Amino acid sequence: MSHRRARLLSTPLRHLDVLLIGATLSISGLGMIMIYSATKARTREEGVSSLYYVNRQGIWIVLGVLTMAAVMAIDYRKLRDLAPIGYLGMVFLLGAVLVPGVGTIAKGSQARFQLGAFQLQPSEFTKFFLILMLAAYCYLHRNDFGLRRVFVAVAICGLPLALVMLQPDLGTALVLGAISFAMLTIGGVRGRYLAILALVVFTGAIGAVNLGVLKQYQVDRLTSFLNQSRDTRGTTYNLDQSKIAIASGGLTGEGLGQGTQTNGRFVPEQHTDFIFTAVGEELGFVGGATLLALFGLVVWRTWRTARLTNDLFGTLVCVGVIAMFTFQIFENVGMTMGIMPITGIPLPFMSYGGSSTIVCFACIGLVANVHMRRFS
Amino acid sequence: MIEGSRVRVSIVGVVVLALFCALFARLWYLQVAGGTQLAAAANANRVRTVTDPAPRGRILDAKGREIANNRVANVVTIDRRLDPAVRKKVFAELALLLGTTVAEIDKRLSDARVSPYTPVPVGIDVPIDTLAYIAEHKDAFPGVRAEPRAVRRYPLGSLASHVLGYVGEINEQERAAKPKNAYELGDEIGKSGVEKSFEKDLRGKSGKERLEIDVQGRVLKTLSTTKPVPGHDVQLTLDLDVQNVAESALAEAMTTARQTHDASVKDKFENYRAPAGSVVVLDAKTGSVVAMASNPTYDPNTFAGGIPTQTYADYNNPENHYPLLNRAIQGQYAPGSTFKLVTSLAGLATGRISPGTTVDDKGFIDLGVEGGRFQNAGNVAHGTVDLPNALTVSSDVYFYEIGRAFWGDFHRNAPTGNAIQDEARTLGFGAPTGIGLSGEVKGRVPDSAWKAAVHAERPDAFPYAQWLPGDNINLAVGQGDLLVTPLQLATAYETVANGGTLFTPRLASQVLDLSQKRVRVIPPTPKATVALPEGARRAIMAGLRGAVQDAKGTAGTVFAGFPFAQQDLAGKTGTAQVVGKQDTSVFVAINPPDPAPDQPQYVVVALIEEGGFGADTAAPIVRRVIEGLVGLPLTPIRIASATTAD
Repeated sequence: MSHRRARLLSTPLRHLDVLLIGATLSISGLGMIMIYSATKARTREEGVSSLYYVNRQGIWIVLGVLTMAAVMAIDYRKLRDLAPIGYLGMVFLLGAVLVPGVGTIAKGSQARFQLGAFQLQPSEFTKFFLILMLAAYCYLHRNDFGLRRVFVAVAICGLPLALVMLQPDLGTALVLGAISFAMLTIGGVRGRYLAILALVVFTGAIGAVNLGVLKQYQVDRLTSFLNQSRDTRGTTYNLDQSKIAIASGGLTGEGLGQGTQTNGRFVPEQHTDFIFTAVGEELGFVGGATLLALFGLVVWRTWRTARLTNDLFGTLVCVGVIAMFTFQIFENVGMTMGIMPITGIPLPFMSYGGSSTIVCFACIGLVANVHMRRFS
Repeated sequence: MIEGSRVRVSIVGVVVLALFCALFARLWYLQVAGGTQLAAAANANRVRTVTDPAPRGRILDAKGREIANNRVANVVTIDRRLDPAVRKKVFAELALLLGTTVAEIDKRLSDARVSPYTPVPVGIDVPIDTLAYIAEHKDAFPGVRAEPRAVRRYPLGSLASHVLGYVGEINEQERAAKPKNAYELGDEIGKSGVEKSFEKDLRGKSGKERLEIDVQGRVLKTLSTTKPVPGHDVQLTLDLDVQNVAESALAEAMTTARQTHDASVKDKFENYRAPAGSVVVLDAKTGSVVAMASNPTYDPNTFAGGIPTQTYADYNNPENHYPLLNRAIQGQYAPGSTFKLVTSLAGLATGRISPGTTVDDKGFIDLGVEGGRFQNAGNVAHGTVDLPNALTVSSDVYFYEIGRAFWGDFHRNAPTGNAIQDEARTLGFGAPTGIGLSGEVKGRVPDSAWKAAVHAERPDAFPYAQWLPGDNINLAVGQGDLLVTPLQLATAYETVANGGTLFTPRLASQVLDLSQKRVRVIPPTPKATVALPEGARRAIMAGLRGAVQDAKGTAGTVFAGFPFAQQDLAGKTGTAQVVGKQDTSVFVAINPPDPAPDQPQYVVVALIEEGGFGADTAAPIVRRVIEGLVGLPLTPIRIASATTAD
């Protein structure tokens, strides 16, 4: 009994990726500090404790770590079998959130369930389950990935993506697209199918813009980064203020709590999507580069795991996570610096928000899971 | 792991690496390589400079009494960056409260002259209960503030308004004329008078407060504060007591004249119109302005905090005879017989006449051509007159002869051909006196060159290009095309009175700081010395004494009963004919003609448009002013119906 227990607990845990977990926790810690800084003025105005947002984020992180532990506890191959159930459940929730009266409308999209004082964003969780589901499907048909299978795989990706677009949540839809494309690439879809798929997506995107599927503000936001010197009060306001904040940080930053753009609340959504501007302004290039390096560490460890494992399912899961993080980091940080269009995508572990934080930890849990069981 | 997948995972790795490199590069570019421009934008974002205007210096009279100071007014201001939705509601309530309209408030707010971060005043001198209401209902009036502000005040109302001038918000033109950044939009600036000419002394230096603000414009902290430096006080040479007497005498004379029949108009019954006039009192020993009055007048207080449109329109309505005009320096008139002083000096200086030269005055001269008959006022024959006599009775014929003689010189190209014009220019006519008040005009001394020029320009109005005998004859008695300002007339008489020094008129004697310490002294400024042989001066003074002191003098009646034994006095009447109008009434007095070394000497000029003969309306004013100057009981003003001697 004791022997078995020792084997069960010690063997996989011995291969725990400490660097990965450590980097993740470091980023979360920095996130809490920056959220405090970015909400200092806001909380004063709202008349709540200055720790209101930090405390809540702390709760999310704790819940996230617990979720991560839970995901790590079960052998990921078991998760593979459970993937369809999770996936279908998510699709159901994505449908439910669109039902008037069930989902809550906030900031122009119907994307959340109100649960008491908290809100649940099913689209965030969709990332996790899509990674599992797609990995499982590709793994199952790894030796026989014909055109029909490609269609099914695309349908698996397309269904939640379409539902998310209906909310509408363009940012998350793009993340799901990136995850899907990366995983299909690794999953064995032939080059020419991938090329065709890319063409279809590209044409579809152009059609979406021209046929008015996207709302005008979405088009404006997506294209404003192409023409950045228009005016500081219009569409480019966010972008300008964001760039100004980062640029005023300089090499070493204005100091924690000293950012004038941050204290003056010049950057909208600074504690959520634009959290990187607080880092840039108050901690400067040194802080921003350190954060990017920590993110790089997380992605590198995940990529390394993808290569270390002998199991295609594990590789696919890791690649899905890489795609998700990389896309979110590049898009989020890129938009604050004016090299990517502005879309509402949170910065993993940094942005204030429960669903996002928990899902990010869950994904790290998947990677750590693959990493520590790669020999078994 | 499948081999193909391994390659693809590597590719993913490369893609990820490239993306991270892009982020690092962009971050470096923004923060380290090219950050200055954007960092400056952050400063522009968060730093607001608020101006704290400096209180303007006071204007004092010669005895230190305040003529202009500042008062604290309760001003309601609105923050221009108010949210448009909130704005509508706030404006509606505010309009109701201040008794104005939303459109009016909108107009004030869209006034581009005020910097966007300076609150815009929408109500001045708001009643205290309105202020209290706004204070109590702060939440209903976001962006609205009630604050005390220094507003320029002229406690004596319209008294000396033309000398003082007024202040107002700087306009684009004025701002462009000043050194860069010296003034901000919305700043107050002296618009005319002393307020304008002593702007530098009076203005002071406004304070600046640099504030760090948040996105909604709320102040996070004060970065730096510079206290405003109050402006300096300017002490004028003006004596309020004399100014008061001058203005009231002028006003009273004009009112009385309008009720007096003008007997010189024969074909219909008409009173003097007397629409406007002015009085100048100079201290002849220093050239200082002791009083300067112009009527009609205005109250400079109406300009404080923005002049109402209607008031401004009234000021510019011809029917009101332009009250903003300072006629002492901006009115141009033919001086009439007061100019005989100049002709006398020209005659004496060139040797054309001596004090004893006599002329047989038959009442007219005749050149023997059409229109060549020039006569005395009322066609009176004065008989044989010498120079003093000619001045006393104002014999035109005596001076006609001088004018005719000089024309002969002109015709022969002799150097004395322009003797009258030369003498006039020597005494300051034909050029601004340089008193330093804006808008001063230079008048006109007509000569052959001038006539040729106007003929070339408008042959229809001036059919003759040549300088004709009649031109010079008219000039000799201050008629024709000669134009002078009352101040020029005063400075010319002053020069003769003081023995030959032509001064640039002085308005202020010193500039004082807040603690009344002297910052700078403004000394009298002699402009030129005019050669004045004692014999010539004595003869002229005798003639001018006679004009007021003799029973047969032109102003003898007006000065009847004046105590000449204790107050020696000389003077000259002037009556200028103006085509299509009643005569201009002019009078100049010198008191005393020969002062003791420590005794002050004054020159007083009064001029009334359409006021009849010099003795009719102008002389009574001058008598009153002199009585005021030397502390005699004031004589009631009686306007003569029409005197026959000018």
